[in-house]
Amino acid sequence: MLDAEDLRASFGRVRALDGFTLAVGAGEVVGLIGPNGAGKSTFDRVVAGIVRPDGGSVRVAGVDSAREPYRARARLGLAGQDLALYPTATVRENLRLFAGLAGLGRRAGAQALERTCTELDLLDLLGRRVATLSGGQQRRVHAAAAMLPRPAVLLLDEPTVGADPTSRLALLGAVRTHAQEGAAVCYTTHYLPELDVLGATLAIAVAGRVVARGTRERLLAEAGTDDLDSVYRAWTAASPGPGAALAGTREA
Amino acid sequence: MGASAHRIGALARHRVVLLRRSPGQVVVYTVMACLLTLVVEPMAELLPTAGVAAPPGARAAAGMLVFCSLFMAGVAGAAVVDERVWRTAERLRSTPARPAELLAGTALPLLGLLLVQQVVVLVVASTLYPTGLGPHWPRLLGVGTAWAACVLGIGLLLAAVTTTSAQLSTVKDLTALALSTTGGAVVPLAALPSWLAPAGRFSPAYWAVAGYLGGPAPAGTAVAVLAGVAVVTFATATVLLGRRRP
Repeated sequence: MLDAEDLRASFGRVRALDGFTLAVGAGEVVGLIGPNGAGKSTFDRVVAGIVRPDGGSVRVAGVDSAREPYRARARLGLAGQDLALYPTATVRENLRLFAGLAGLGRRAGAQALERTCTELDLLDLLGRRVATLSGGQQRRVHAAAAMLPRPAVLLLDEPTVGADPTSRLALLGAVRTHAQEGAAVCYTTHYLPELDVLGATLAIAVAGRVVARGTRERLLAEAGTDDLDSVYRAWTAASPGPGAALAGTREA
Repeated sequence: MGASAHRIGALARHRVVLLRRSPGQVVVYTVMACLLTLVVEPMAELLPTAGVAAPPGARAAAGMLVFCSLFMAGVAGAAVVDERVWRTAERLRSTPARPAELLAGTALPLLGLLLVQQVVVLVVASTLYPTGLGPHWPRLLGVGTAWAACVLGIGLLLAAVTTTSAQLSTVKDLTALALSTTGGAVVPLAALPSWLAPAGRFSPAYWAVAGYLGGPAPAGTAVAVLAGVAVVTFATATVLLGRRRP
C-alpha cells in the first residue's frame, strides 16, 4: 500500500534521507522508531508531498506520487509532529475543512466526522474552539483531521506526544481500527510500549535510512534478547548518530 | 472541475469562518475610513483640485477609502502568515488541493471583503455629503474590483517577504503610508511638495483615487494599471511563496 524506495533528501549540507526504503502493507501498522534526526519526520513529509526528494520513488496505494502527486495525496492522511489546526475555529469547523478538501460531500463529511469523533471521543468537543482545548484534546483533533476520510495510507508522527492517558488510549484504539479496516499505517513514536499495543511491526531508522525491519519477535530473536529497548539501543549505537550524514563527510 | 470547485468552496467557507472570528481590523479600517471622510471633507474644499471636477465629499471619500483600504493588505497578508504560524500551510499542502485552489479559496472571500468595505464607505460618504458618485456605479464597480485585487496582491506579496505577524504588521503600515501619501490619497498631489508629487504616478493609490473620481486619469487607464499591479504582485508572491522551503 505504501512503497518508498531509496529516498534521498538533503537540506543544505544535512542529508536527511540517505536511501530510505520502507514498504507498508494493507492492514499493517509499522512502528517507525529511531533517534532524533534519523529522518522519520522528513520521510513522512516526503511521502505526503510537502518536501520533494532529491531521489528515489514513492507509491501510495499504487499511485506514483512523482507522476500523480494529487492523486497520491488523495489516498493518504498525515498528522505531522507539530499540531496543525486553526485555533480560532471550532473542532467541527476544522474537521469540516479537511473533509471538504478530501472530497467528502456534506452528508459523507458529516458521517465521517461523527464516526471519527466517536472513535476519538471528540463528540462533546465539536463546538469548542481549538484554542480552548487541552494539549491531549488538540492531539486527538489533529489526528482526526488525518483519519477523517479513511485514507488508504495513514502517516502519524508522534501522535501521542503530550497526550493524557485517556487521549492516548483513544488514539491507539482509532489507529487499530483503521488498520483493521485495511489502512497501511506508518506510526512514528519514541514510546516503544505503544507498538506492542498496536501489534506493530518495526522499522528502525538511523541517519536517513532504515537499518532494521521486521516483526518484534524476529528482531528480538536476531538480537538474542527479549528486551526491545536493547534491540533499539544496539541498532542506534552501531550506526552513525544524527548529524553524521553531512553530504560529503559520511563515515564509512 | 467539480472536485476543484468543491475544494475551493471548502477553503472559502473556512476563510469566512476565520474572518468572522477576527473581524477587528476590518471593522476598524472601515469605520476609520468613514470617520476620516467626515472630518476631512471640509479641508478638501480648501485644497487644490488640479482640474478634478468631483465635489469635495467625493474627493475626501475616495482619498480616505484608498488610504484605509491599503491597511487591509495586512488582513490579506495575515491569511498567509497565520497559516505559517499555525503550521496549517503544510497540512494544506499534503491534501489533494492544488496551489491555485488554495490561492482561490483564500483570495475570494478576501476580495469580497475588500469590495464590501468600499461599498460601505462610499454609501456612508454619500449620505454624509453630496458626492455625485451614485450615477457612476459601473465605473466604481470596475475601479473598486481592480483596486481590491491590487490590495489583495500587495498583501500576499508582503506575506511572502515577511516571516512573522509582527514583521507583516510593520511592513504593512510602512507600505500603506508610503503608497497612500505619494499617491495623493491623504493630501492631493497638487498640494504635495514639488519634489514628491512626481512620484505619485508610480503609486497604485494615485490610480485608484483617479479611477474613483474619474480624473485626472481616465477610469479605463486606472483599471488597467491597477489590474496590472494586481497581476504582478500576485505572480511575484506566488513565486516567492513557492520557493519557501517548509
